[in-house]
Amino acid sequence: MNNCAPIIRRSLKREREKFLPGVVLSFTKLMHPPERFGRRPRIVGLIELENGRRVLGALLSDAFIGQSVRPRMRLSHVTAEGLRVYETAYEAAGKAVAPQAFPGYILALTGPSGVGKSTISRMLARAFSEYAASVPILTTREQKPGDEGEYVYTAREEFERLQRTGAIVAATRIPSSSEDRRYGYRAADIEAIWSAGKLPVVVTELHLLEDLARHYGRRAILSFGLLPPGRTKRAKLSQLLHRLRARGRDSEEHIRDRLKNAERDLAFFRERKDLFDHIVVNEDLSSMLDYMRKKVSGLSGA
Amino acid sequence: MRQDIFLAGSGLTRFGEWWEKSLRDLMSEAATAALRSSGMSPLEIDLVVVANMLAETANDQAGLGALASSLFPHRPPALRVEAACGSGSLALHTACAFLESGRAKTVLVLGAEKMTDAPANAVAEALMGAADGELDAPSGITFPGIFGLIGQRYMHEYDLTREQLSVVSAVHHRNAMDNPFAHFRQELSPEAVSASPLVSDPLRLFDCSPVSDGAAACILSTARRSPLRIAASQVASDTLSITERPTIVSFPATREAMSRALLEAGIERSDIRAVETHDCFSIAAVINVEDLGFAREGEGIRLYEEAYAGHPSLFVNMSGGLKACGHPVAATGLKQLIDAGKHLERASIRYGLAHNFGGAGAACGIHILENIEA
Repeated sequence: MNNCAPIIRRSLKREREKFLPGVVLSFTKLMHPPERFGRRPRIVGLIELENGRRVLGALLSDAFIGQSVRPRMRLSHVTAEGLRVYETAYEAAGKAVAPQAFPGYILALTGPSGVGKSTISRMLARAFSEYAASVPILTTREQKPGDEGEYVYTAREEFERLQRTGAIVAATRIPSSSEDRRYGYRAADIEAIWSAGKLPVVVTELHLLEDLARHYGRRAILSFGLLPPGRTKRAKLSQLLHRLRARGRDSEEHIRDRLKNAERDLAFFRERKDLFDHIVVNEDLSSMLDYMRKKVSGLSGA
Repeated sequence: MRQDIFLAGSGLTRFGEWWEKSLRDLMSEAATAALRSSGMSPLEIDLVVVANMLAETANDQAGLGALASSLFPHRPPALRVEAACGSGSLALHTACAFLESGRAKTVLVLGAEKMTDAPANAVAEALMGAADGELDAPSGITFPGIFGLIGQRYMHEYDLTREQLSVVSAVHHRNAMDNPFAHFRQELSPEAVSASPLVSDPLRLFDCSPVSDGAAACILSTARRSPLRIAASQVASDTLSITERPTIVSFPATREAMSRALLEAGIERSDIRAVETHDCFSIAAVINVEDLGFAREGEGIRLYEEAYAGHPSLFVNMSGGLKACGHPVAATGLKQLIDAGKHLERASIRYGLAHNFGGAGAACGIHILENIEA
């Protein structure tokens, strides 16, 4: 119901009225916010604005009672119908927040297993070898025949240690029927590519993409969503199944896992349109590559 | 009260997850039990008042008055009352008004909620209907979140600790062990409460009442006497949104309903020995005993610490409260009255009280029950 256009339109007016500095009267960290706000915990504060009004609003960092906060208008979420919902959130006013230095671009390719991400990234890397380099994926999973140097293997304990120290900027768990795998990106790998004057390319999935956008800022990412052809979900999944079997890399059991994950991914694509600059359908590899080359060239000036 | 109104009969389903029972089944079970306990004929029911909050969203069902009426051979007039979690007590209050005016002599009040028909996240969103859709919901707050804000502020103002708060649910669980109608009948240590998963800081899973199915029915009558008399029935309201209130560590609606109820019953607060209060979250129980006037501000936890140590000065939530009995939203207010009555009869106490609210204290209903044989 709260997705209806008139409600969203009226809410924008109210959010604008909330755009005032204030003081935190109380706060809480919601471990399970309503679905439309994503899966991450959300901190909501009761704030007394400088005009005396009290409001509820998202807090952008850990808070304490009595903290001074200032407003920031931001995209709250995108509805399934594609409507963008904005909200007034609040950030600590105490510490001067330096305008975040723009570190450089990351090229992200996201899509379900079997959509052709690796092939495309390889072709892009070849075409742009002077400008682009793949970011290795840190993983706790076992090495498999067919892996092509895109992974760096590590033990679970080491992975968790790196996560704690902040050396990993994006991480996800992909449970499968056989094991609990972790995947992530190290800041050092990405920054090394930047310092070499190149464009880091990540072949990734949605949680990692979310983390990267959070860490480096959404505008630092040129984000392509890759979808298999097919009008319905069933048609898309059947395409993926076909491709996964054809490439002969996975056991039938792993293919089942991957398809299950792919089904989740397809739903997530609908919910998180805001994470993508371009959604491309991999109907024909060469025309898709041309399209992407144009977009990337525009960026790198190549 | 302008008439002597008696609790002539009552019935409960056990609260819990009833996958095989529908909303209608639960209503029928509680109503049948109430009629049986009263010894009355169904034909003596002049009016049915139904309390329910979520039937449209959880059960695709509106028109609950007619649905309840169809349980009776003579199809008595029926209506529905909604005040979120306070629906039960507001339905009782509505029934009292009909009885006092003489429009009815015997009213069946029926509170029912069938929550497990909808997925948990849909139920959570629907429960947010008890907060303000324009002022509260757009921030992403949930109901546990609202009480998280309240708890955080309360802890800040009164230095209540996490360990102290955990005693509340432990007491409720212990009280429920002898209650055959309770959702949870196992002991829960304060340590287990403190160690349960975080839901909305500082509240943890075991600070929260569960999602339950259940129904409760009370037969209120001016024609049929019973040992239990309704000595007062009062309701009070507050703003729906906590953002429009001067304080969030007290619920003024409770205070107002309580002072009017004492006046109506013509008794002192100290005459009341047994209380069923609305502990939708542990922090609410602490605030409620203060608002009801049984503890000073910031000292509500003491009543629970005394109870946990085994020497209670007041019987609070002897049924197990919402935490251990379960909280099928609109059935709760009726269940509280029934449980208060059971405790009065069991312990030969004269006055007991049922305190029920909807939202974060937005609509409060208080009923004082007198055991005329004590």
